Amino acid sequence: MNDFSELENELRKLRPAQPSPVLFERVGEALEDSTAFGVADARSSWWRLKETTNNWWSLGFGLAAAAVLILFAAVSMEHRREQQQAIAQSSPEPATRPVPLGTEPSTSRSKFVPAGGTNIVYNARDEGLHFADGSERPVRRVRYHTQQTWRWRNPETGASLRVSYPSEEIVLIPVSGQ
Amino acid sequence: MEPIASHENWRNCFSEVAPGLLLFARQWVQSAADAEDIVQDAFVKFWRRNHDIGNRGLLYAAVRSLALDFIRRDARRTRREATALAEAEPVVEPHFELEDDTQSALAAAVESLPRDQREVLVLKIWNDLTFNEIAGALGISQNTAASRFRYALTNLKKSLQPQ
Repeated sequence: MNDFSELENELRKLRPAQPSPVLFERVGEALEDSTAFGVADARSSWWRLKETTNNWWSLGFGLAAAAVLILFAAVSMEHRREQQQAIAQSSPEPATRPVPLGTEPSTSRSKFVPAGGTNIVYNARDEGLHFADGSERPVRRVRYHTQQTWRWRNPETGASLRVSYPSEEIVLIPVSGQ
Repeated sequence: MEPIASHENWRNCFSEVAPGLLLFARQWVQSAADAEDIVQDAFVKFWRRNHDIGNRGLLYAAVRSLALDFIRRDARRTRREATALAEAEPVVEPHFELEDDTQSALAAAVESLPRDQREVLVLKIWNDLTFNEIAGALGISQNTAASRFRYALTNLKKSLQPQ
């Protein structure tokens, strides 16, 4: 059929050197270990699906928590103000009553402004080479565990609010071959 | 779906492909022990990623990628140990189980091929990959794979001709 069929047959007669029995044992053990690992792997598959959105979720949860805390702080301050007003109104000596708080702008005291944030990486793990779905080029996956902290401050009252939460970040670095 | 279900299939698959995978890894790595480590890592990672057992191109790509990583790491180590290695006799472990002088000559001719031709030859002859799979494994076009294979055979034929 072609000029090289004889040569190809000769080449096929060459038998590659056999791997040592130890290699088969080691791979067998790795597959056995993974019987338990299979469950973990199924989970990790789920996490792989989620990994691209993980950061956004944690950021979203953090911001939601911050919003709830700000709301609580605002409601609490409003409640305290109402109590003060009620006490003041029931006072038998209105002459000694302090300046009514109702005359102040109600929003100025509950304004929190962002005062900064930190993102501390406390663990970085190289998870080796992986193939992203549908990709034929490997990428190196590095997993970072971080602690993110966001701070807000009320410039008028001096009150501050801090939200801190753990975060996980997965970075995929393309690996180029030569 | 679950890796447990196809456990035996994977084990059998490894038994079948291991010699070819090892030969492929040794296109970059001289030591058979290092090549075995690379093959083990690549196969286990391939399995853990739940890749299709039939997607052989990806498996060979993983071996190649790990072998290239190993070379980079090993180059640094080699530089550190340069003096010691310069005095030592290089140990070359055979890539093939040779039966006679003809096979020895053929094996030597294969090993003297340029690496890009040799890796295509190894994948085609001893791993039975299609040109399409070879292209996927090496990140080249199918035509390039086919032409490298043809160049390899041409060069082998030339080098085996009596002088």
